[in-house]
Amino acid sequence: MTLLSTALGMLFYLLHAVSGESGYAENGDFDDAELDDYAFSCYSQLEVDGPQHLLTCTFDDSDVNSTNLEFEICGALLDVDCLNFNKLQERYFLKTKKFLLIGDSKICVKLEKKNMTCRKMNIVKIVKPEAPFDVRVVYREGANDFVVTFNTSHLQKKYVKVLIHEVAYRQEKKENNWMRVNLTSTKLTLLQRKLQPNAMYEIKVRSIPYANYFEGFWSEWSPSFHFRTPETNGTGETDPVLLTISILSFFSVALMVTLACVLWKKRIKPIIWPSLPDHKKTLEQLCKKPKKNLNVSFNPESFLDCQIHKVDGIQARDEAEGFLQDPFSPQLEESEKQRLRGGMQGPSWPSEQAGITPKVFRGESPFRCLAGNASVCDAPGLPSSRSPNGREGGKSRPLVYQDLLLGPGTTNSSLRPPFPFQPGILTLNPVAPGQPILTSLGSSQEEAYVTMSSFYQNQ
Amino acid sequence: MFHVSFRYIFGIPPLILVLLPVASSDCDINGKDGGAYQNVLMVNIDDLDNMINFDSNCLNNEPNFFKKHSCDDNKEASFLNRAARKLKQFLKMNISDDFKLHLSTVSQGTLTLLNCTSKEENKSLKEQKKQNDLCFLKILLQKIKTCWNKILRGIKEH
Repeated sequence: MTLLSTALGMLFYLLHAVSGESGYAENGDFDDAELDDYAFSCYSQLEVDGPQHLLTCTFDDSDVNSTNLEFEICGALLDVDCLNFNKLQERYFLKTKKFLLIGDSKICVKLEKKNMTCRKMNIVKIVKPEAPFDVRVVYREGANDFVVTFNTSHLQKKYVKVLIHEVAYRQEKKENNWMRVNLTSTKLTLLQRKLQPNAMYEIKVRSIPYANYFEGFWSEWSPSFHFRTPETNGTGETDPVLLTISILSFFSVALMVTLACVLWKKRIKPIIWPSLPDHKKTLEQLCKKPKKNLNVSFNPESFLDCQIHKVDGIQARDEAEGFLQDPFSPQLEESEKQRLRGGMQGPSWPSEQAGITPKVFRGESPFRCLAGNASVCDAPGLPSSRSPNGREGGKSRPLVYQDLLLGPGTTNSSLRPPFPFQPGILTLNPVAPGQPILTSLGSSQEEAYVTMSSFYQNQ
Repeated sequence: MFHVSFRYIFGIPPLILVLLPVASSDCDINGKDGGAYQNVLMVNIDDLDNMINFDSNCLNNEPNFFKKHSCDDNKEASFLNRAARKLKQFLKMNISDDFKLHLSTVSQGTLTLLNCTSKEENKSLKEQKKQNDLCFLKILLQKIKTCWNKILRGIKEH
């Protein structure tokens, strides 16, 4: 029994092994060498004409005598089992909407209804998209780039909607130096700085199905588009408005810098960094109109020739009273003449007077500086200025005041009217002890008082 | 002794061969990655859905077919098989060529992906009744779509 069962098993195995057609391999391809002469390749184009699809097959060897050869597709078809191709020159095509698009089909080369060679193919794996079209390149001057746009018919299709596009561009002079860019959209931006200026470029596009469910081959190239890149900004056109504004700005800046340098010391620096006033200089400037022979100076050295005597207030009053009681003395007249002759010269009180003691002053000297009023003994405005020494007027006549210091107790008494006949006599004003008090005894009562403004008057 | 061995040799193996299809599944689902469904079947189902104009009350009344057959767990392939065969009945209606084309694509495509046995096919044919209502078709298409989504969702989770 064991032997019988073994024999039956072997019989079944042999029957199974020889059951297939001769020459059939596991992958369904023929192994016979002579069948390689009918090798072919196919590609499909879905929805090429509305809902209809197109399947195109050609022999790999163009020398094949295809006179009696036919192509047939079976499997993965709607409502039919097989369909025959149509022949156009050396190409076999099938235009139908009966592709199921699911599962494998078998395409066979038939010679007088006999299958010469067959190949198992999946229609969705040999898809060749339609070529893109309407390639445009627009230059954006503001952005300095080129916008490349193109169109494809697959945007309106139902099945093969997602594609990968390849944009290739080159400079026309440089052959076979294509730059390639892959993208899924239909818009591409090329930067101007990456292209040669003032050059002619050629650009074209092709597509392939995005490997999701549909696969296949590259489409044909789109028609080429040619464009020229602009020249660089250095040698190209410049905005005239911008050029004018830049020139005006340059000259304005240069003018401002020049004015700043010129007016720096006189105008700008005093405003930015004003100098602190010097009271001495300011006062000198107030008297900056020195008259001829009028020297104004607070330099103590200029007062060296002035004799300064301290005058006792009581003694001065007594002398003044005594003086008033006496009639006009001829000495007074002489002194007037001398003064008139002296004129404007010698403003300084003579050193003779410096040596005059109060006693001498009491009886003889017509020059008195009486207490009470401060006036200019030798007023520049008065013609009665006297200078016994008669200094020459090479220099402007300075205002020299004798500082007759009064003792304490002197009062600010007014000058008595009897003294108006004493011209040019300096007296001290006892307003403040120790301060120089200058009085002037003019011919009239009005001239008894001398103010600071008299300093500006010419003698 | 001889008759006992003869029984075991010639009786049991054929019995095994007969019983194997009963134990095995009815359909084997191909295209489990969902590419065929999303790129082909769903496109045609949506086109059919747009071509059918129906009353809003149509979806409220569920036909008896769906009470008997539903996309239950472990029975998705069987339901789709029956639903795809039901679609073929509508091809006999007086409809446009484009409508027929979409119907054929959905039904035949589903059957191709399911790869069911012939016994199951015969069984489903016997149970079919002629229901040419477009409302029923609309509901049927929605059920097919839902069941496919359930299958693909289950495959992704695993």
